[in-house]
Amino acid sequence: MTPDTPVPATWPARFGDELYRFALSRVSDSETAEELVQETFLSALDGLATFRAEASERTWLFVILRRKIIDHYRRQARATHVGLDEIEAGGPTEADFFVPENGHWTGPQTPASWLRADAALEQQELHDILQRCQDRLPPQQEAVFALRFVEELSAEEICQELGLSSANYWVIVHRAKLQLRRCLEKHGLGKN
Amino acid sequence: MLLEQQADQALAREQRVNLWLHLRYCPYCNRYAQQTVLIAEWARASASARATAGPVLSEAAKERMRERLVAAG
Repeated sequence: MTPDTPVPATWPARFGDELYRFALSRVSDSETAEELVQETFLSALDGLATFRAEASERTWLFVILRRKIIDHYRRQARATHVGLDEIEAGGPTEADFFVPENGHWTGPQTPASWLRADAALEQQELHDILQRCQDRLPPQQEAVFALRFVEELSAEEICQELGLSSANYWVIVHRAKLQLRRCLEKHGLGKN
Repeated sequence: MLLEQQADQALAREQRVNLWLHLRYCPYCNRYAQQTVLIAEWARASASARATAGPVLSEAAKERMRERLVAAG
């Protein structure tokens, strides 16, 4: 064994904390985050032959973990997969936010000014509120939102991963953003 | 929805003009357009912050993982 050969049994002690934090920053559930890290190590062990010494073990493990996180979102979205008709039928729709006759914002949903949002809330508080609001999204919307705006996959990649049509995808993104904005305002933004 | 599409792909000229006109004459939509960008930025920043400062893996979990790696290897 050369000095550069990975030693899998040392991975949990060397990389466990970092990988776990990363996973937890994406899934907000400690049990799931732990499972993702464990799956990452086991997949890495299976693919040890493909490891190239020019990449660091840490980078390689993060690439595998990121793939596991995308798979996690895919399972989450597919387990609750709804078509466009069902999206229209369940949960808040455009009619909750806009007057159907003229498309104007309905009174209570009119966006309030967030001009002083950063000043009104501590950064940590803002992050915590946003996380709670994301957690309250329907699973499919949460998965699409996270894949697009946290993992920064393209619309095309997300449609492919989740088996969505682009029409469904845009409706889901739009609804997720509308609900997040409403949730953030309920929790203090725009009330300063 | 054109707002979201605009961030991902080039809109057709007519769509671009319609969106521009709409945002020019709808102050609330203009406000929403800015908020939607902020939400995306905050989501990224929030995840990055938690990835560097969150809780760590318990020693028991590390040991369980180590044992599974040894058994599987």
